[in-house]
Amino acid sequence: MLTRRQLLWTGAGIGLAGVLAACGNGGQTGPAAVSASGSAAEQPRTGGTLRVGALGRVSAVTRDPHGTQTNESDYLIISLLYDTLTVPGETTNTAPRLAGAWKASEDLKTWRFTIADGASFHDGTPVTAEDVVWSLKRLRATPAGASRLPGIQPSGITAEDAKTVVLVSDYPNADLPLLTRLTTFVLKKDTKDDALATAPGTGPFKLDWFRDGNARLVRNENWYGGKVFLDAIEVRIFESPQAMANALLAGQIDVASNVGAVAARTAESRPDIQILRRPNDMAMPIVMRTADGPFADPRIREALRLAVDREAMVKQVLSGYGTVANDVLGTGDPAYAKDLPQRTRDLAKAKSLLAEAGFDLSKTYDLVTTEDISGLAESATLFATQVGEAGVKINVVKQDSAVFWDKTWLKAPLYTTYWGTNDSVVFFASKTMLSDAGQNESGWKEPSFDEAYREAMATADAAKRSEALRKLQQIEYEKSGYLLWGMADGIDLAGSAVRGLPKLPGYGRVQLEKAWLAR
Amino acid sequence: MTTAFPHRSPDQRELHGALDQIASGRSRRRRALRAAPALALVLLALAGPLLAPHPIDRPLVAPFAAPDATAMLGGDLLGRDVLSRFLAGGGPLVLNALAIAALVTAAAALLGVLAALRPGLGRWVERTADLAILVPAVLGIMLIALAWQDGGRLAVAAAAIVLGIPYATRVVAAAATPVATAGYIETAAASGERLWYLIVREVLPNLRATLLALFGLRFVEAVYVVSVAAFLQLGPQPPTADWALMIRENSPGIMLNPLAVAAPALAIGVLALSVNLAADALIPRTGTTTEVPL
Amino acid sequence: MWSGAETRVDGKPRADGEARSAEKPRFVLIAGHVVWSALRRLAVLAVLLGVVFAAVELLPGDAASSTSERGESAADLAARRTALGLDRPLAERFWDWMTALPTGDLGTSARGEPVTRLLAGPFPNTLLLGGLALAVSLAGALALGSWAALRPGGRTDRGIAVVATMAFALPEFVVAIALLLVLSLRLGWLPAVTLIGSDGAPASWSMLLLPLLALAVPQIGWNTRIVRAALADQAALPHVSAAIIDGLPRHRILTHHLLPGALPAIAVGVATSAGMLLGGAVVVETLFNYPGVGAVLAGAIADRDTPVVAGVVAATGGAISVVLLLADLVRARTVGVRL
Repeated sequence: MLTRRQLLWTGAGIGLAGVLAACGNGGQTGPAAVSASGSAAEQPRTGGTLRVGALGRVSAVTRDPHGTQTNESDYLIISLLYDTLTVPGETTNTAPRLAGAWKASEDLKTWRFTIADGASFHDGTPVTAEDVVWSLKRLRATPAGASRLPGIQPSGITAEDAKTVVLVSDYPNADLPLLTRLTTFVLKKDTKDDALATAPGTGPFKLDWFRDGNARLVRNENWYGGKVFLDAIEVRIFESPQAMANALLAGQIDVASNVGAVAARTAESRPDIQILRRPNDMAMPIVMRTADGPFADPRIREALRLAVDREAMVKQVLSGYGTVANDVLGTGDPAYAKDLPQRTRDLAKAKSLLAEAGFDLSKTYDLVTTEDISGLAESATLFATQVGEAGVKINVVKQDSAVFWDKTWLKAPLYTTYWGTNDSVVFFASKTMLSDAGQNESGWKEPSFDEAYREAMATADAAKRSEALRKLQQIEYEKSGYLLWGMADGIDLAGSAVRGLPKLPGYGRVQLEKAWLAR
Repeated sequence: MTTAFPHRSPDQRELHGALDQIASGRSRRRRALRAAPALALVLLALAGPLLAPHPIDRPLVAPFAAPDATAMLGGDLLGRDVLSRFLAGGGPLVLNALAIAALVTAAAALLGVLAALRPGLGRWVERTADLAILVPAVLGIMLIALAWQDGGRLAVAAAAIVLGIPYATRVVAAAATPVATAGYIETAAASGERLWYLIVREVLPNLRATLLALFGLRFVEAVYVVSVAAFLQLGPQPPTADWALMIRENSPGIMLNPLAVAAPALAIGVLALSVNLAADALIPRTGTTTEVPL
Repeated sequence: MWSGAETRVDGKPRADGEARSAEKPRFVLIAGHVVWSALRRLAVLAVLLGVVFAAVELLPGDAASSTSERGESAADLAARRTALGLDRPLAERFWDWMTALPTGDLGTSARGEPVTRLLAGPFPNTLLLGGLALAVSLAGALALGSWAALRPGGRTDRGIAVVATMAFALPEFVVAIALLLVLSLRLGWLPAVTLIGSDGAPASWSMLLLPLLALAVPQIGWNTRIVRAALADQAALPHVSAAIIDGLPRHRILTHHLLPGALPAIAVGVATSAGMLLGGAVVVETLFNYPGVGAVLAGAIADRDTPVVAGVVAATGGAISVVLLLADLVRARTVGVRL
């Protein structure tokens, strides 16, 4: 029922292409949607309280900005109270926030971040480089620190002067600023662990009260990032998307964040409710193990990619709220290779490839899935039915989440996975596809792919870099262990008076500082 | 406490015997009539898959499509035919619940009578039932079904049985105590009759009413446990067609196609009710017929 | 139509004064009995907590891996495991937790929150909802059961029997979904979900109504059966028959002869109800987003978070034990104490 392992922390985020795609495919329904995302030429009004519903479990509530976040509600509250160095942007992949500017050294290893002018904590003290260094080191020292700030050692985080923070990477990294989005919340230096609940932040809102995952936040009049319109935001925690949708339909909240396609379809008949679609929000690929087992032969993986009916998957599993994908992860990246030929269903070719590779059609193969996010188990079910038409017998096994991540993930021959950050091809390459990647989900080892990745990361020149990225995606498209049939839209519902909601997919949806109420 | 189950007085025992005789003379036809709905439903549930107009695993219409000529009860979360899945989804649930109810009742009958004949064991039954009453059903179901990962339907059945036996045993023991301490059984025991003979030939036949009523209740409980487990994503797993599972997986779309939830929910309610009526129809009259109208 | 199976839980209450023959004053006996019962219930609760610790341990996976995130290495996991004390023997962890319990310390969750703080808001909310549901179902059951008993075997009696079975047979979430759909989403009379105020309690009373109904309806079904069967048993007793034949008014017989005698059986049935209510609360709370312990419990099991699971069981088990004790007390007062 709930999303676990949200991958807030994966470093990459959401960017430009998502927004472009939104315009390209007419992502929004109804005229009201335009106003919610702020395109209408209305003058923003000051005042009012916005009531926002977000998913979360009370038992998993955490107040630590650097803790393991599984609740979207916690992350939303933390993002409104604290600032990260950079954020996902609308016109650029990485937009300034607490860091007003940044610059790389020649070798792309040393990066200098300058703190934004006028940035101060809620108690009035200005933000110094010391605060940032202390916070980044605290983040780096968490159990997942090495994967949150990959390639950056604790000793590589230093303050050059009062306003400049220096990050040194172990290897050339043209995409390093991407790593500072989403996770790098800045606290005051030497904040004690037991004082986290009341620790002042630098964000657009200040904490009024917090209770069991719910919170009321009031406007920070002195925010350095621009004028904040709302008087207050009330965040409400919801165990299930269904209860959240009901609350919105009954008018008890103004925004239902990330509520899902079924809720959107329910709201289609309600003229007083705005439906916001944020494309490229969630990837739900099927992982076929490449290292060994029944799917090790690339021809068999190709056959399954040809056997799936992508249009039907998007229509039935996502209720049409999504787009067909082409087996390359990072669909929201500006560098995403849109020119690769779109794979479509070809059962005849799939069958001949299976025969050619000597695939044993008499056996039944397990496809392991979970119900961590809505649509995941359903995608497995429909996939099994579809490839059955190519003669492949698949039995869907739904596992308890804890067991899945312990026993199946990274190990099983065939399983479903999901990723919530989809605006970086490089992110997926480095995290899940390099031969030595810690989360190599399909056990893939492809020297030519590793080579293409290293080339891309060490190239500062934009044109040459995009050439290298194109090559990398070509290899991924032909040989990887992923079958990515489609991308789910992120869907929010909002009351008719809400304006200025974020348009970004993934965790860009927490940027509520520009929201306002037309009433 | 000296004994777990206080005795009934002799006069009441005689009363019961007399009532059993009266009850046996009741109209068989009326009983058959009251057992009919349950029988019909069980038969329908079992024959359902043969009547399904469409395949149960293929999308037919849009997800949560409203009912139309193609799909008379509309579409489910993947756009599969709700009517077909409804027809196919009763059998497993019915068999499952019947098996759970029968097992719990049988185990409780044996243990309960044993407890009545052996007060030492009776006290243990009391303690276990005291313990079981403190366990929230959801906790028990989750612990057992999660510990037995591949158990699926069987794991939930196991949970229902484990959770149900202590309480059911206490009910049987309470009813069996007066029978067990009746003079003729004490005489039989004293003359060295074997224990199983006492249980099977002397005590159990006197507990028909209790056991049938218990069976009806345990059936309701079994349906309840299986449905709640499905709600918690335990037990039968997608893509199985199963009433309990249908309620859970289709409830997000209840505003779009209410029938996808209402049909199985109603069926579960009617099923539980009719099985109770049937069990009730077979019960020899005791309680109510002794009442003098006020 | 009404089987007495449920009421015979504690045997047939007999008013033959077997205990009253004791020489000590009655209230001393009763007090002693209650203290003894309380100790027994505490022991049972302690055993249950032990079972819970062992059961969570048996589940695949542990709190360290459940609360980790993608990208943590085996070494990170091992460190997390040590930090949570999961490398210590189960018995030791159980002992530490149990010995801290009397001081009101329920331990720390796998995410570092004190369990008492996790439950401080939800537990009172669940008690409020459960208590109200118990009261409503008892009142409803007494009314329906008594009404049915006025004309044994009559049309009303049979009708109520069918409705009670049907209500009991419906899982709470079916009732909940139906109520939500009709009363809130279609008619807009009641709020669809419960939201809390800054004090952690439901922001308005109207938010309690839907979850309350969803919980109470199945329990009214169950308790009506209990009440009705207990009344039937009482009506069969010679002194009641005599009163009826003497021509005393119906309501007087009901209130003076039937109900007092049936009270112990009803009390036990209602106490059983308390346990079922808390079980149903998990599901109902999720549907109405009610801020109670149900969601905490389900989440904690998914996280294999033993101190939280045990904390919830201790709190709810304690509450149910109190209700059971009250039932003991009612029986002791009515029937007398057997020592």
